[in-house]
Amino acid sequence: MDESKKRLVQRLMRRIPTKRLKTTLEKWGRLTGEQQRAMDSIHSKWALTESLLAICEENELAVKHLTELEMIYMIDNPDQGMWYAFQLTDPGDDAQSVDLMQFKEQFKSHLKELVREVSVKIKKHTDEAIWIRIAWGDTYSRPDHLKPTYVVHYLQTPYVFVTRLTSKQKPMLSQAMVLSTRYQYFKDANLSGRNLTAIRDLLMRKYQQVFPTKYPSPPTERKQTVTNPHIERDQAKPAANRLQMACEAFGGGVLPQLQSAVYKLETRFRDHSNTTMTEREEPFRCVVKFSSANLLESLKSCASSGIASTPVTALLSFIPLNRKNYFVITDKGPVPSSQMRQTQN
Amino acid sequence: MRTPLNSVAVKRRSKSKSYRSSYRSGIGAASRLSFTPGLTSRRLNTSRKAPKSYKIAEKVTKEQLTLLVKTEWTLSYVTPLYRFRHTQLKSYSRQLSLFIAAEKQQGLAVDVEGTQNTFRVSFSLVQGMTESVDDAVTVLIQIHSKPLFARQDKPLRQVWSGWLTCINGNPEYLRSLPTDFICLPLFCSSEAGGLTSLVKSWFQQSFDCCFSPLEISQTSLQWLMALWTNCQPESSIRQLKMIWTLPAEPQLQVTYTVNAEEAWELWSSVRKESTAGEGEENSIDIEEVMSFTQGLKGHFIRHFRLDLSAGSLKEVSTALGSAKHSGRIKFSNSKYMITTLMLLTECALLKMPI
Repeated sequence: MDESKKRLVQRLMRRIPTKRLKTTLEKWGRLTGEQQRAMDSIHSKWALTESLLAICEENELAVKHLTELEMIYMIDNPDQGMWYAFQLTDPGDDAQSVDLMQFKEQFKSHLKELVREVSVKIKKHTDEAIWIRIAWGDTYSRPDHLKPTYVVHYLQTPYVFVTRLTSKQKPMLSQAMVLSTRYQYFKDANLSGRNLTAIRDLLMRKYQQVFPTKYPSPPTERKQTVTNPHIERDQAKPAANRLQMACEAFGGGVLPQLQSAVYKLETRFRDHSNTTMTEREEPFRCVVKFSSANLLESLKSCASSGIASTPVTALLSFIPLNRKNYFVITDKGPVPSSQMRQTQN
Repeated sequence: MRTPLNSVAVKRRSKSKSYRSSYRSGIGAASRLSFTPGLTSRRLNTSRKAPKSYKIAEKVTKEQLTLLVKTEWTLSYVTPLYRFRHTQLKSYSRQLSLFIAAEKQQGLAVDVEGTQNTFRVSFSLVQGMTESVDDAVTVLIQIHSKPLFARQDKPLRQVWSGWLTCINGNPEYLRSLPTDFICLPLFCSSEAGGLTSLVKSWFQQSFDCCFSPLEISQTSLQWLMALWTNCQPESSIRQLKMIWTLPAEPQLQVTYTVNAEEAWELWSSVRKESTAGEGEENSIDIEEVMSFTQGLKGHFIRHFRLDLSAGSLKEVSTALGSAKHSGRIKFSNSKYMITTLMLLTECALLKMPI
């Protein structure tokens, strides 16, 4: 077996956790019943890898079959690695009428025109998402299957989500997307995170948003702490108000799992107790990064507990409102995406 | 043993004096330490000298400096060492090697690589770091791993290092110690695992002392922020980075990074008029440090309406070094190491139980 195929198998086996291997291999469907049973009985990762290598020889599987396996695993387990959101803007007249077949053909052909050596695999997933796997090569080398880029596009929407992409690869992907979807521009949406589902839900507003109505009552506390009835009574209304405003800013129910938000501040110094600094003309340059296991939940909890003043400040509510998590803020307000430098992080 | 609360001023009244005497009599004659002045009544200095670039490179050897900078050290404080002699280092090296070997034989796992290695320990003095005449000379301990079939010319791999130091320790306290005691209150170790525990055990056995983890308090972290920023004109800090954690559900971490120039300007704006004469060193007061932090928090609140005071400062870092609340320090630049060590020595001495 040649070296590159072997490395691909090894990389796949490192990536796919043992407990997911069985279902992924079954979905792949390229193993005979006997081979599948043999794999199921092995438990050590190293032995599994050796076994898979042998099966690939036996069944004469090619690289394209292996990349199929990788793609199946990725589609079923999208919430890992880093995903970056992009948005297509300025649709042409026929943007809405692009159908799946058209898109597939056009994307492949445009990309192949731009990058001589490239391997493209397109697969439609059940929920209207088109998954694209791109292995990039160049004039001197064959496509590198060890560093593929995954692209997910929801047809009929302008949203595209991408995993790793170098600055050289970006313009080519951009061009291919734009030509095959009939939009004018492919722009950075300034939203990134580890969970594809989370950033997709946020961007496409697929989570429970709360509109300003009376909220029934604060959810019951899990811990039963000893409370003072007087304090409870006095605090009931302010607590309910804070919770209402927190939900209005961030949403109710389960919130999409964002990990971080970055604000690049280029505003003048604002603490009025220090006149020397507030008189300073130049901006007070600093960067603030908020991080958490679930950022929106954390911010919501800050608002409802009073750590953050309510109504929630515009800057924090920009995240769900603008569906971004990277902002450049000047005294005139946030810099719109179109004017931001495209490279960040 | 009870340790005093960090940086809390205990009022010096006759009541507390009698408390201390009765506490001491409770320990009885078994206590080897005689009466020492109430360090418990002291608090962290409210004023300290502005850090100057100590020409440390001229005083400490290059090899030793390389060992001390760019490593993240875990901090502990240690009580005075009974009958520790700076002249006995060779003997200590031997004793500690034997101790580690014995512990290994008993089955204590210290080596990740395998049981074939033996450890070579070396104690050495780091001359040139003391600030006052009362400071004991810094002692450096290194542990190298010697594989069983090592080639003679191959250099041994260092697997652990640690050092005991006292920089500008409180002279009153140091002079009050009986002659048999050496005070090296600050202990820095290259990691917090097995070998560190062994070294600590040996010290505890040999010199009747006690080790405890040393946290860096909020106040001390803020001091470091100010002291490092103060160096900006001479040595760029590149940026002032602070990490705060807020008690949200789930926990929220805020990383607030300020540009060097901006941090310096804010710091300069809160400095009071210099009262030092020509040639005298300018001193920095705690109020200036507090104003600096307030300014930073204020700018933040104006944007996010989130008060960082609701959380706690966990880490501070600049190009000169980094410090973590959990008790870790890194010196990235040897020039300002001494000032940082003075602050840390002070923190360690405040923890002394007696």
